[in-house]
Amino acid sequence: MATTYTIPVGPVHVGLKEPVTAWLELDGERIVSARVRPGAIHRGIEFMARERNPIQVIYLSERICGICSFSHVLCFIRAIEDLASLSVPVRAQYIRTLVLELERIHSHLLWAGVACYTIGFDSAFHLGMQMRERVMDVLELLSGNRVNYGVATFGGVRWDVTPELAKAVRETIRYYRREFAPFREIVMEDPVAQARMRNVGVLTRDDAVRYSATGPTARASGLRVDIRQSSPYEAYADIPVEPIVPQDYFDTARGDVLDRFAVRVLEVYQALDIMEKVLDGLPEGPFLAEPNLNKVLASLKKAEGTGWGIIEAPRGDDTHIVRLKGGEDNVCWWKVRAPTYANAVSWPVMFQGNELADAPLIINSIDPCISCMERMMVTDGSNAGIVTKEDLLKRCRQKTFDLKAGKFPGGFNGFKGETKR
Amino acid sequence: MTEKPEKSRERRGMSLADRLSVSRFAKTTTDCGTLSEGLRARFGERILGLEVREHKGGKGDEVQCRDLWVEVAPETFRPFLEELFTYDFVNFHVISGDDVGDHVVLNYHLSLFQRVRGGRIGVIVTVRLPKDALSLPSVFDLLPGSEYSERETREMFGVDFAGLPNKALVFLPEDWNEDIKPWRRDAAGPTPEVLRELS
Repeated sequence: MATTYTIPVGPVHVGLKEPVTAWLELDGERIVSARVRPGAIHRGIEFMARERNPIQVIYLSERICGICSFSHVLCFIRAIEDLASLSVPVRAQYIRTLVLELERIHSHLLWAGVACYTIGFDSAFHLGMQMRERVMDVLELLSGNRVNYGVATFGGVRWDVTPELAKAVRETIRYYRREFAPFREIVMEDPVAQARMRNVGVLTRDDAVRYSATGPTARASGLRVDIRQSSPYEAYADIPVEPIVPQDYFDTARGDVLDRFAVRVLEVYQALDIMEKVLDGLPEGPFLAEPNLNKVLASLKKAEGTGWGIIEAPRGDDTHIVRLKGGEDNVCWWKVRAPTYANAVSWPVMFQGNELADAPLIINSIDPCISCMERMMVTDGSNAGIVTKEDLLKRCRQKTFDLKAGKFPGGFNGFKGETKR
Repeated sequence: MTEKPEKSRERRGMSLADRLSVSRFAKTTTDCGTLSEGLRARFGERILGLEVREHKGGKGDEVQCRDLWVEVAPETFRPFLEELFTYDFVNFHVISGDDVGDHVVLNYHLSLFQRVRGGRIGVIVTVRLPKDALSLPSVFDLLPGSEYSERETREMFGVDFAGLPNKALVFLPEDWNEDIKPWRRDAAGPTPEVLRELS
């Protein structure tokens, strides 16, 4: 009779980017069962919203996550628009879709890099990080920010897509179509990556259905589900999205880590196609229904009801539910269900029968939501010193001005011509 | 009868046991009107409220999807959920809720027909639990994906879920005083002494 022993992975672990604990019961190196305990980073953000008005909660929702910040904002805004029956100009719907897809690229690139790092393929990690800078530059060009964009608001968006931005986005689409190939090769061809990820952390199609898995995690198990397809919102009403499932590319869907990797890599190419269609079809007209925030707040103060917003975020369907009470300034209550909340329930199933060494890879394979809010450090080798918060703010602003003036860092020749190689 | 028998079987009338044994999403959809009529025919007066909400989008400003908001009494909740399974394998999203004085209101956010292009129907099942009977049957046996939501609702509102195997805290710290239910607005909720103002 084999004896088992229990060890924790996390809450702080070198392989994890976010505090979460997995208690693994082991027989030798083999995982017999697993128990996951989140909660190390619960901030009571829904409780905080009870003391804020809907416009303040936009900026609070943006800070739930540093990667899918726009998804959370849009989901909250759609919940409010649902309960108050606000309409959104069609140009704003297209701009929202563009930012959603830019964010998907930014999120999937980060994940692809981190996944490579987790299997010890560090050069691909650095390549992913370098490539991700480009999409973040475009987001900064649009909004002035790399992470929390402040783009969406009730009844539209706050920033328009100018011809210069459209040109930069098209340039970026060309850049990724040209440069993203190494990641496709890792998934489709690299025997080492395949040996490391194939049949690891399997979630079968039946379990994905039963455990309500979502997003790339569900699609990697072979489920053709995607909120963009099943209940189109914003510009997805005009731009059909076909869910990406591994059985269309490999012989079958195995639901393992490699399949999850493949789905995300292929979704980057899909996002590029969607962005191109958004730019081609971008309608003229206003991009904000009501620019006067006081009027918006006054009308929301009269609104009463519960609204549900649901969108396909990079990690899966993001759900926000919000209630406003007539005559009250503040949000009555607000419930956020990030995709990881749904996918984390499947972790114990994925762990079973795998080896201890694969635990961080399995945890990372659902792309757990990481609150990364740090900005790039500016260092100067010849004059190492401390960069204060004020200096950083100044340099942040300077960089945005530089971008707008067409000066791009990191060897790019801006979006005006081809990339310097 | 205009449809082939196996097709209509998939659309309607698959028993709960069959649906659970197959664990697949239906490939066909039922429109929201038919669904609400079917539910009305089955539950009649036991449906306390029903609202269909439409979501428009795109250049044509056409309806892209619909949500069905239904309220049922606590004792009807479990049969109602089982009835939904006869249409499609239910996709569970989350439980939301609020303390409204003498009741705790819970909303189950579910989806049907996710597999079908433009076919998804969001179903919100609202249940009002009186504060002297804060208990509901767990749906863990049908939808294990509901585990975190049931545990969260338990720790935040003090609602007990009969049949939930693991009732440990999920998001609150290990050393949390379990008598304090953070989302309650009455004496069971956090008092000003235990709140720390951060902003």
